[in-house]
Amino acid sequence: MAENKIQLSIVTPAKNVVNEEVDQVNVPGEDGDLGVLADHAPLITTLRSGPLSYEKGDDVVQMVVSGGYMEVTDNRVTVLAETAEFLDEIDRTRAEAAKADAEAKLAKADLSEDEFEATQLKLFRAIARLETPSKN
Amino acid sequence: MPNLRDIKRRIGSVKNTQQITKAMKLVAASKLRKAQEAILNERPYAVKLMEVLHHLAARCNKDLHPLLNQREEKKVLFIVVTSDKGLCGGFNGNVLKRLMAAVEENAGKEISVVAMGKKGRDICRSRGLKIEREYLNWGKDFEYQRAAEMAKFISEMFVDGKVDKVSLVYNEFKSVIQQEVILEQLLPIVPEDMATDSDGKMHDVDYIYEPDEESILETLLGRYMAVEIYRACLESTASEHGARMTAMDSATRNAGEMIDDLTLFYNRARQAYITKELIEVVNGAEALKG
Repeated sequence: MAENKIQLSIVTPAKNVVNEEVDQVNVPGEDGDLGVLADHAPLITTLRSGPLSYEKGDDVVQMVVSGGYMEVTDNRVTVLAETAEFLDEIDRTRAEAAKADAEAKLAKADLSEDEFEATQLKLFRAIARLETPSKN
Repeated sequence: MPNLRDIKRRIGSVKNTQQITKAMKLVAASKLRKAQEAILNERPYAVKLMEVLHHLAARCNKDLHPLLNQREEKKVLFIVVTSDKGLCGGFNGNVLKRLMAAVEENAGKEISVVAMGKKGRDICRSRGLKIEREYLNWGKDFEYQRAAEMAKFISEMFVDGKVDKVSLVYNEFKSVIQQEVILEQLLPIVPEDMATDSDGKMHDVDYIYEPDEESILETLLGRYMAVEIYRACLESTASEHGARMTAMDSATRNAGEMIDDLTLFYNRARQAYITKELIEVVNGAEALKG
């Protein structure tokens, strides 16, 4: 492995999304965003729904992930996410609909705790998708 | 003398059967392609998740989470993954054979099953096993969400002490023509497994945990269960279509052989019939001459 590079792999239940050597990875951690450079200390963290990006030379690739984990060991970064999409894969209309739907549901008071949590997560996912800059 | 019309009818019916098996084979083949893609895509995720979990669990205090609890095994639960439809060779039989062997090994303990698929349920019922829950018609568009639901139900049973050990029995998809029955312990999470992790040296590394060990373990364990159940189901679906395709392929071939045999038989009978008629005509003519 080249020096100061990180082997990044992003996998979701649907597919192996990314498997590349990169310089830096920025992820949306549960308690705040964090960036990982080469020779990072071993780390396990949960992720929230939000933007993930990685840098390779001068290129910056942006993605949106929802929920999951990141493990950093030995210059290997493994992101396990429920979904991971590149910007041009995001279906904005669907995200809008999901957001509206979730908001309408949350406005009602009679949700059970589980339902409430699930709907809230759905809302966060939709917002994460919508917040990204659209690709020109 | 065999009746010609009967043989003809027989050939017709075998031909019909052959057409059906051929169609089923084609349908299975196209479904297989989809199922195979799904499982091959899902596997890396499951493997990575296991890796993370094992790294974590090896380092954690076993009392940290109820799902890591090792108890005396008195109550054993099997999750049996079978198909709803038959006509797929030894696919279901193999799973159930493995299950019965496991039931025997655990004789004296309280055994219950969660049956996925009609075939498995039927057998479990006829053998008098206690069925905790059954999921029928799950094979079509099985979603992660449902696996998550199952996982929740099963972990609750485990935490409440209703079961002490949970195992999965399913067909693992090896290749299109090969399946292997797997019996895998789901809960409690096996400690040997953690110790004999792929690269032992990693075990000394101290991780930074964010937000903290417990909450990561909590979510990770929940997900692990769901992912394992989901994976077993995808494996089983792909295996089912593979098994059905092979079974239907050989059925089609057998039907072809049968048609050939019957046709030969038919032609022989027809010839014999003609010969007999000729003899009768000739005899008749002879008699008139006389």
